Amino acid sequence: MKRLTVKVDDDTGESLAKKQLQSKANSLLNAEKVDIKTLKGFVQLLKNTPDNMPAGEVMNTLEVIFKNLLKRKAIAGTERQGLKIQELYEETWLLLIEHLLVDSESSVAVKVCMQLIKVEAKYPIAPNKGWPTHRIRGMLGTLINCDATPTAALANYGKYCKNLDVLEITLKQLKSLVPGEDFKDSPIKAMNLLSILNLLDMGKSVLSTADYHVESAKRQTFNFELNRKRLNDLWVTIMAKGNEVDEKLHRQILVVLLERVINHLNDPIQLTDFLMDSLHQFDGPIALLALQGIFTLMQKQNITYPDVYEKLYNMLYPRMFHNKYKARLFYLADIFLTSTHLPENLVAAFVKRLARLALQSPTEDAVIMIQFVCNLLLRHTGLQKLIRASHAADELSDPYNPTETDPVKSEAMNSSLWEITLLQKHVVPEVANAARFINSSLPVMEFDLAPLLDRKECNIFDDELQSKAKQFALNYERPTNLALPKNQFVTKYWDLI
Amino acid sequence: MSFVARSLIRNVPLMGKAILSQQKQIAARLLHQTAPLAAVRVQHPAPDFKGLAVVDNSFQEVKLEDYRESIWCCSSTHWISDFTAAAHFGGEGDSAQDRQAAIDEMIVEQKRRKNEIAKEKDEVFDLTEKLDANYKLLLPLVAKATKDVQDAKPPPDAYDKLLKEMIFEPRGSVADKLINPDELAKQEAARLEKLENERLRRMRADGEEEEETSIAKPKHRSADDLDDGYFLAGEGDEGDDTLAYDLDGNLGTHLNGKKEAEAKGNENEDDDDEEGEEEEEEDSDEESDSEVDNLSDLKESESESEPEEAPKASKKKAKKSADTIPASLDTSIPFTIKMPKTYENFTELLSKHATAQKVTIIERIIKCNHPKLEGVNRENVVKLYSFLLQYLKDLFEDASEQDIREHFQLLSKLMPHLYELTQLNPERMSNTLLEVIKEKYGEFRKNHKMYPSLDTLVYFKLVANLYSTSDFRHPVVTPCFIFMQHVLSRSRVRTRQEISMGLFLVTVVLEFVSQSKRLVPAIFNFLQGIVHMSIPKRDVEQLEITPPFERDGPLSKLLALPANMESTKLEPQRMQPSDLVTQTITPDFKVRALDTSLLLIKEALQLVEEHDGACYLAQPFLRLLSRLPLDSYPEHVHQHHKEATELAEKLAAQKMKPLAPAEKKPKALRLLEPRFEAVYDDKRRPKMSKAKEERAKLLHKIKREKKGAIREIRRDTAFVQTLRLKQTLQSDKERHEKVKRIYQEASVQQGELNELARAKKKKKF
Repeated sequence: MKRLTVKVDDDTGESLAKKQLQSKANSLLNAEKVDIKTLKGFVQLLKNTPDNMPAGEVMNTLEVIFKNLLKRKAIAGTERQGLKIQELYEETWLLLIEHLLVDSESSVAVKVCMQLIKVEAKYPIAPNKGWPTHRIRGMLGTLINCDATPTAALANYGKYCKNLDVLEITLKQLKSLVPGEDFKDSPIKAMNLLSILNLLDMGKSVLSTADYHVESAKRQTFNFELNRKRLNDLWVTIMAKGNEVDEKLHRQILVVLLERVINHLNDPIQLTDFLMDSLHQFDGPIALLALQGIFTLMQKQNITYPDVYEKLYNMLYPRMFHNKYKARLFYLADIFLTSTHLPENLVAAFVKRLARLALQSPTEDAVIMIQFVCNLLLRHTGLQKLIRASHAADELSDPYNPTETDPVKSEAMNSSLWEITLLQKHVVPEVANAARFINSSLPVMEFDLAPLLDRKECNIFDDELQSKAKQFALNYERPTNLALPKNQFVTKYWDLI
Repeated sequence: MSFVARSLIRNVPLMGKAILSQQKQIAARLLHQTAPLAAVRVQHPAPDFKGLAVVDNSFQEVKLEDYRESIWCCSSTHWISDFTAAAHFGGEGDSAQDRQAAIDEMIVEQKRRKNEIAKEKDEVFDLTEKLDANYKLLLPLVAKATKDVQDAKPPPDAYDKLLKEMIFEPRGSVADKLINPDELAKQEAARLEKLENERLRRMRADGEEEEETSIAKPKHRSADDLDDGYFLAGEGDEGDDTLAYDLDGNLGTHLNGKKEAEAKGNENEDDDDEEGEEEEEEDSDEESDSEVDNLSDLKESESESEPEEAPKASKKKAKKSADTIPASLDTSIPFTIKMPKTYENFTELLSKHATAQKVTIIERIIKCNHPKLEGVNRENVVKLYSFLLQYLKDLFEDASEQDIREHFQLLSKLMPHLYELTQLNPERMSNTLLEVIKEKYGEFRKNHKMYPSLDTLVYFKLVANLYSTSDFRHPVVTPCFIFMQHVLSRSRVRTRQEISMGLFLVTVVLEFVSQSKRLVPAIFNFLQGIVHMSIPKRDVEQLEITPPFERDGPLSKLLALPANMESTKLEPQRMQPSDLVTQTITPDFKVRALDTSLLLIKEALQLVEEHDGACYLAQPFLRLLSRLPLDSYPEHVHQHHKEATELAEKLAAQKMKPLAPAEKKPKALRLLEPRFEAVYDDKRRPKMSKAKEERAKLLHKIKREKKGAIREIRRDTAFVQTLRLKQTLQSDKERHEKVKRIYQEASVQQGELNELARAKKKKKF
């Protein structure tokens, strides 16, 4: 309760200060002649913000003031006052850019910057004309050169990158902002650069919406080919520097490549070596991303890579449930195994591998894999031998060899899907029910895996809470102490009481 | 009067009902013509009749009786003139003067009879009058006599009183039949069996049962079953329920019957045991109720407070004392305790007392606030339950090494009371607990790399004790499963506390699935991880292991014993409660954790033993167990390692039948029904209901049968007759021949006689 009142006090204090600030700004703007001293006071306020004043408020106020001043063209004047204001304006910009890197204020800072840019583009200050590109350059420079990845600022900046003019200018500026040294020497800068590049989406939806941040920029329309060329150049520079980088950066390069760049490259074939190296030298997420790149190349550039299935097969192992790109792997595997012309023993090996993994995986993945197996059985009807053996067959231990790296040699075709029967005994009803598909005739339609890929364990928990079962069945034997009446394990192995 | 006329007289009124007036006139004319023809003699009074007749131009009912008086009283010339006037449509009267004397006689006779009747009536009346008068005279006499008798009754003596009392005394009230212990045990066993069956039903998934039954072969086949050996494949199975004599000569279904009997026996034994225990408990309660016991209680609680040095020895004792203490009288605690209003009051109430007394307090609160006593208490018990949950949370959340054992002891003693509370209102209590678990999960999911606090684990244990964890789907248990799996598969294992918490969770999960024998992959992964941690590895080699365990680095050999370490002397020891709160890993903890893991591996594998595919769960263990360097471990670890390895090997070598869909009975070909066409025979049959039609058919059949039978009989008689005719003809013939022969003989005789006579004549001549 006490804390609450304090907070209330804080709030009232803040709102009071806010009101004061606003009234001060109003009086400043209403005065016929701009009072340099007050303006300087505002800038100072941003420089060393007092405790009871959030910097965001100061920035907002400054935004209002300078917007008005810009509109009045008070900054552009050549007399002393105009120069003075311009000086203060530049100082404000420096301070704003500093604030970009503070996580809690970055959203306001980015907003203020972009708004000021908007007004400045309309009412340019004397030597510059039109789009104030140097402002963007300043922002980007700060973002790239900071010591830790400024995730919040990047996310906020990303919103503005949906506007084609901002996108174009950013792209133009990035080329010159690529750090001089190799990526391995300045991993953080490289990371930041890549993160910014990752914001630049030249996809169809963005191009077709054709939003512009500054009204006047609409006149010179976005030249896709030109920007594409810029992107190509930028990428060549990045690739030249991106040798022997650490794993995290390598992953980021691959992500940016796959998400933003590969579709716009003039000659993606050149990437083959890079991707192949990534695929063979690493495992885990990098190999996975590289595999996706190779897949794109196979699709678009018609390269052939015979071992792709073997690679994919060996990527399916228990540890992969715990990496970030799990959904991507399932998605890729689903696409790779779409073809109905694959040899049956190959697909059978995948089926067995997936079923084995389902036995070790967390709940949500088990459901995905069971349904995936079901889909594969539907695509390749010959595989239904795995669950529809003849009755006369003898008992045998599983002939499938899980350690064999070549899926074709794993003898999966002679096996049977006992894993699924075991999964029917899974403790989570959802998994147990999913595994029951082998008992009756297979479904007619394939399952859609897409909605399952993003599910988390907590979703299953929530679903279970909403399930209809509302009968709170109790134990009918009264426990007299910590031990259960039957089958007590806790008291057997723990010396608790 | 002619016969015709008389009959007309009799019948006309009757006919008059229907006949029109025209016809009546014709009849009347007839009467006119016949009337003078002959004199009529009346011998008998005409029989009474009545009928409709036209009187004063309207139909009226006419009765002969009405005119009888006038007949006799009227002059002879006009006898029944009125009657005839009415009945005979105004016909003339017809007199019988010659019968005057007879009639007079008859009138006299009549009058005499009337007089007689009147006289008789008078006599009867007089007699009754007389009788009544006499009775009134007698009445006082009779009344006096009865009163005398009453007066004469002697006053009731003691015996009579007793007798009377005994008559009216209630002869004992109706009570329940005395149930002897055997029957009681039987009822209890039946109740348990019912509950167990319900549990088993819940354990199965929705469609599972049908699938299982469809897979199982049909139980009974009749002798003329036309399956033609379709289920031959499953024939070899044991457990055929055919009725047969076993080796001892007892009738029964062989094998199965025996097994069932055994199982039943075991169950019964179990039940008996439990009951025995309960009884013992009650006994001990009673004992401890007596005040003499107070001292011993004190002693025991003393011994309890010092135990930490020799936990193993005192453990059993402590447990025993724990059983005997709870209901002990403690004078410092009031008998009625009001339900505390707030949680603060509640903790205040408990804080002053020792563990045993806390339990007593809670027990008394429950008793005083039992919902049966008052309606408000329904809310109170729910509140108490949530207080208890909160209290447990506070106890365990920041438990220290010193007091954790005490907390667990308290929990142990609270368990029955928590159980009872839950029984009072399962829905409300469960929702309370579920809310708590939801909240815990909400906290956990924010950072699932960190183990939840100890109180969460305690709630899981609580769920295991209170709920039927074997259900296929349970509103409380299933979310707990998901929660526990999530913890086991995601949270990082880095310290002694985290290892112990993981092992504790594994143990609780095993308790959860001990009856349903369901599969929880996370526990197998976790146990593999623990074994993996115990294997010392060189840096270059990597053994594959599922997260959250690290494949390499220092965390991957957290539990490995250093090579120079000698710990073969360590005694076997169970996991300690202090393991749950301390962070540093000691050598004895390493040994203890590995030992417990080995035991848990064995238990876990035993649970899934019977499932197909258990080999997949056992194989990864083999790989790890073989790598375990046992030299530096004490003897009991060797033993447990051997057992676990043996079981895993056995399971890994499991052989399975390839999956095949359940045999379906082939669908029979559709038989073609013959098509009947109705033949048109131009006969119209009346439409009848089915039953009637059937009846008509049957009648027709009977008719035909009857005809046939008659024909048969006719034929028979005809045959018999022809036979008889033949016989008669034959006999006639024979007679004819006889007669002929007789005639012949006679004629021969005559001839001879004639000849003789002729010869005589000739002689004469």
